[in-house]
Amino acid sequence: MNTALRISHVGLRGIVGQGLTATHVMEFAAAFGTFLEPGRPVVLGRDPRLSGNMIREGVVASLLACGHDVIDLGIVSTPVVQHAIQRLDAAGGIAISASHNTIDWNALRFFGPSGIYLNTAESGELLDIYHLHRFRFEEWNKLGKLTVSSDAIDAYLDELARVFDLERLRPLRVVVDCCNGTSALILRRMNDRFGCGFILINERVDGRTVAHTPNTSASIVELQLGPLMQPLQADAGFLFDMDADRVALADEQGRGVSEELVLPMLADHLLPQSEGKLIIANLSSTALLEDVAARHGARVLRVPVGRQAAIDALSTYRPEQIALAGEGTGAVMMPQFRFVYDGIASMLAILTMIRDRGQTVSQILAGYPSHHILKAEVPLTSPNIPALLMELQELFPDGTMDRSDGLRISWPDRWFHVRVSQTEPIIRVIAEQRDSEPRELFETLLDRVRSLN
Amino acid sequence: MAREHLLKVGVSGVRGVIGGFLTPGLGASFAQAFGTYVGKGRVVIGRDTRTSGPMLTHAVNCGLLAAGCEVIDLGVMPTPTIQMYISHVKARGGIALTASHNPPEYNALKLFNREGLFFNQYERSELLDLFHQSQFTQAGNDEIRTVKQDLTTAPALHIDRVLRHVDADRIRRRRFRVALDGVNGAGSEMSVHFLGNVLQTQLEAISVDPTKVFPRIAEPRPDTLTELAALVRRTGADVGFGQDPDGDRLAVCDETGQVLDNDDVLALAVQRALTHTPGDVVVNLTTSSTIDDIAAQHGRKVYRTPVGEANVVEMMQAVKAAIGGEGSSGGIIYPAVHLCRDSYTAMALLLDLMAETGRTVSELVAGLPRYARLSGKVPFEHGRLGTLMQGLEESFPDAQTNRMDGLKLLWEGRWLHVRSSNTEPLLRLAVEARTAEQAQSLFNDAWQRLTS
Repeated sequence: MNTALRISHVGLRGIVGQGLTATHVMEFAAAFGTFLEPGRPVVLGRDPRLSGNMIREGVVASLLACGHDVIDLGIVSTPVVQHAIQRLDAAGGIAISASHNTIDWNALRFFGPSGIYLNTAESGELLDIYHLHRFRFEEWNKLGKLTVSSDAIDAYLDELARVFDLERLRPLRVVVDCCNGTSALILRRMNDRFGCGFILINERVDGRTVAHTPNTSASIVELQLGPLMQPLQADAGFLFDMDADRVALADEQGRGVSEELVLPMLADHLLPQSEGKLIIANLSSTALLEDVAARHGARVLRVPVGRQAAIDALSTYRPEQIALAGEGTGAVMMPQFRFVYDGIASMLAILTMIRDRGQTVSQILAGYPSHHILKAEVPLTSPNIPALLMELQELFPDGTMDRSDGLRISWPDRWFHVRVSQTEPIIRVIAEQRDSEPRELFETLLDRVRSLN
Repeated sequence: MAREHLLKVGVSGVRGVIGGFLTPGLGASFAQAFGTYVGKGRVVIGRDTRTSGPMLTHAVNCGLLAAGCEVIDLGVMPTPTIQMYISHVKARGGIALTASHNPPEYNALKLFNREGLFFNQYERSELLDLFHQSQFTQAGNDEIRTVKQDLTTAPALHIDRVLRHVDADRIRRRRFRVALDGVNGAGSEMSVHFLGNVLQTQLEAISVDPTKVFPRIAEPRPDTLTELAALVRRTGADVGFGQDPDGDRLAVCDETGQVLDNDDVLALAVQRALTHTPGDVVVNLTTSSTIDDIAAQHGRKVYRTPVGEANVVEMMQAVKAAIGGEGSSGGIIYPAVHLCRDSYTAMALLLDLMAETGRTVSELVAGLPRYARLSGKVPFEHGRLGTLMQGLEESFPDAQTNRMDGLKLLWEGRWLHVRSSNTEPLLRLAVEARTAEQAQSLFNDAWQRLTS
C-alpha cells in the first residue's frame, strides 16, 4: 500500500482509511487555516464520494478553530468552488475531491484568493506549516462560523451563460457520461434552466458506486460513449471526471478522440478571439499545439508535467498575454474562467466551435495534421536516473533538448519525452511523430530505458 | 502558583481550554477512539451553548464518521436529554460536548454507553487505552456514513419521561410563580417550554437565550445566583431554579430569595422519591448526613461513593437505588426517569412536593434535619499529599476512617472529608457537624493541620 497517501505541493490525497485518515485531514486543514490571512471567509465544496462526509466535518472543524468563517457549498464541482471563491471575495477555498482517481481515494485541493491554485512558493509554505504542526488556533470567543450555501451552481451557471451563447448550442445533440460525479448535478440544472437537452448517462450520484474509473481517456470514452453516438444521432459526446475539471470527447461516429486533442482544438477555437498569443502546455503533450499555434501567430511555452509547473508559469505572465493553458489529459484553463481547469467550460467551448464552423467533430479533427503518439510505462528500478538521461541525450545529439523535466528531445517532425513519474514509481516514455507512428524511435527508447534502468 | 490544568485527557474523557489545548484534532481522535470502541453503528451527539460547540461538533463528527459510525446530531441539547435519547434510538453510545459548569473557554467530551449512562470505570480505561494506542477503525469510502440531525424528538421524549413520575395536573392547578435562570445554556428553550407550557407555571425567566454567552459563573451556587434571588424577590416567585450550561445540575432559591444549599435540594428530592419509590440511596462521600437521616426515616440504606457522577451512577445501577446524587455540586439522579443527573427531574420533583404538601420551599427546608457545613480549598506541594492525609488521620485517632476517595473522618454527628482535586493541585476540605460552632472548630483544626 505504498501509494495510499501522498502529501505534496498539489495538496493531500490518498485512499481513505488505508492511508488518508481523519488526522491527516484535520491537520492539513488546520495548516491551511493558519496559512490563510484572517478576516475573509473560506469556501468549501466536495465531490459526491461518501468519504467526503467525513472529510468535510474535519475541514470545517479545523477552519472554524483557526477563526475562519466557512461557506460550505455542499456537493459541487471543483470549478464551482473556484468560481465561488472569487464571487464571494473569499480568502481561499478547499475542494474535497480526488477528481479522476478511483472512488476509494479522496483529496484536499487548496485555492487562494480568486480561486486560483496555490503557486509553488505558497504551497511550500502550507507544507511547512503542516510539517511543523504549529497551528494558529483561536480562542473560544474568536472561532469562525459555518454557513451553508445552496446557490453556488446557479451562480456558476450564470457566468457560463454570460460567456457562452447557450441558446445557440441547443440544436446540438449531446451525450454526456457524468461518471456519477458532480457534472450530473450541473448539467441537469442546465437542462432545467436553459433547456440544453444534454442526454446524461452514469448520472446517478450516490458517492458509493461509479460506472467506471473516472478517468478522461479516449479508451474509456470509446467504451462508454462509442456505442451510443450513432444510434442517438449525437453530434458530440463528452465524459467528465468526478469533479468535472477534466473532459474527454467522442466524435459523432462514436470514436474516442485522443485526450491529447482537446487542448489543440480549444486553442484553434480560442486563439482568433484571444488577445493573448501564448499557450502554456507541458512537455508531454502533442506537437499539434505548435502547428495550431503557428496558424494563429501564437507560440507554445512548454513546462514540466504537473499542474504546479503550469501555475508557476502562468504567474510569470500578465493574464492578457495568455490564450490558454492545459495538458494532454483533457484539463484546460481558459482566461475567461480565472485560469482554472474547467471541464464544463471546455465542453461548451467545443460545442460553440462545432456551431461556429458548421462542421462535425471528425471534420474539425480532419483539418489538423495527424500526429501519432506512443506511450509506455517502465517500472522504476534504477536509482541512477541522471545517468540514464545522459545516455539518451548522447544517443540523440542532433535534436533540440529540454532537461527541465526528465529529457525531451524534439525534431521538426517528431519528439520524445522520458521522465520519472511524480506519483508512481515508473518511468514514462512518450514519442510522437507527424503522419506515422514513431515505432522505431519508441522501441529504441524503450530498449535503452529497460537496459539502463 | 497553581498549575492550571488547561487540558486533561483521562478516564473521564477529554476536557480543556479551546485554542491551543483542546484542539479539533484531539476532539476528532478521541471521537474516533470512541467510535472504534462502541463499533460501527449509530452514535448520538449534542452540545451545550458554548461558542466552541459547533467547531467541536464537526471535529467529533469527523472522528465518528472515520470510524464508520452514523451520527445523529441533536444540536444544542441538555446532557440528560441526550442520554435518554441514546437508549431510545438504540444507539451504540453518545457524546455530549459540554464542559458542564466549567467556564466558557473550556469544553469537553462526556461519553455515554448504549444505555445512555456514563461509561463505567472499565469502559473508561479501555477507551483511554484505545485512544493512546491510536489503533482506530479506519472506514473506507463505502463504509462512511452521514450525519443526520434530529432537533425535536429528544426534548419531547425527556419531558414525557419526567411527567410519568409526578402528578402534573396537581402542579398545573397550583399555577406556581417560578423564576428561572437558564445561564443561556442548552436547556434555555426546553426549560421555558417545560415550566411555562407543560407545567403551566407563571414563568419569569432570565438568561434563556442560547445564542448568547454565559452571563454569570456557570456553576449554579448560592454566590453565583444573586440575579435569580433578586428576580424571586422582585416577582414574588414561589421558587427559583438555576441551571448549569448543560442542564444536568440545578440550584434552587426559596420564596424569600434565599438560595438553598445544594445538599438540601438533594435532601428534598430524596424525601419526595422515597415516599414514592422503593430502593436505597447512593450519594458521594462529601454529601450531607441529612441524607442518612432521611433514609433512616424511610428505613432505607445509604451507599457512599467517591466523588464523580459516574461513580454514583455505577453504584446506583449495582444496588438498584431509588435515588442518588452529589449534594454539593447540585443535581439529583432519579433512575425512574433515567440514570442520569437531570435538572428537569429535579424541578418536577420539587414542584410536585410543593403541590403535594402545600408547603413553601422554606418550610420544606425547615423540616429537614439540620447540619452546618463548611468547605475550603488548600493548595499543596507535589509529593506532599500522602504526608498531609496521613498526618490528618493520625491527629484524629478517635475517628472512623474511609479511604475510598481521599480521606473521610467520621464521628457521631460530624465528619470531615479531604480529597485532591482532579483538575488542580488543590485539596478540597469539607466539614459537617450538628452545629455551626462544632463545624467551625473542626474546620479550623483540620485547616491548621493541612497548612502548617
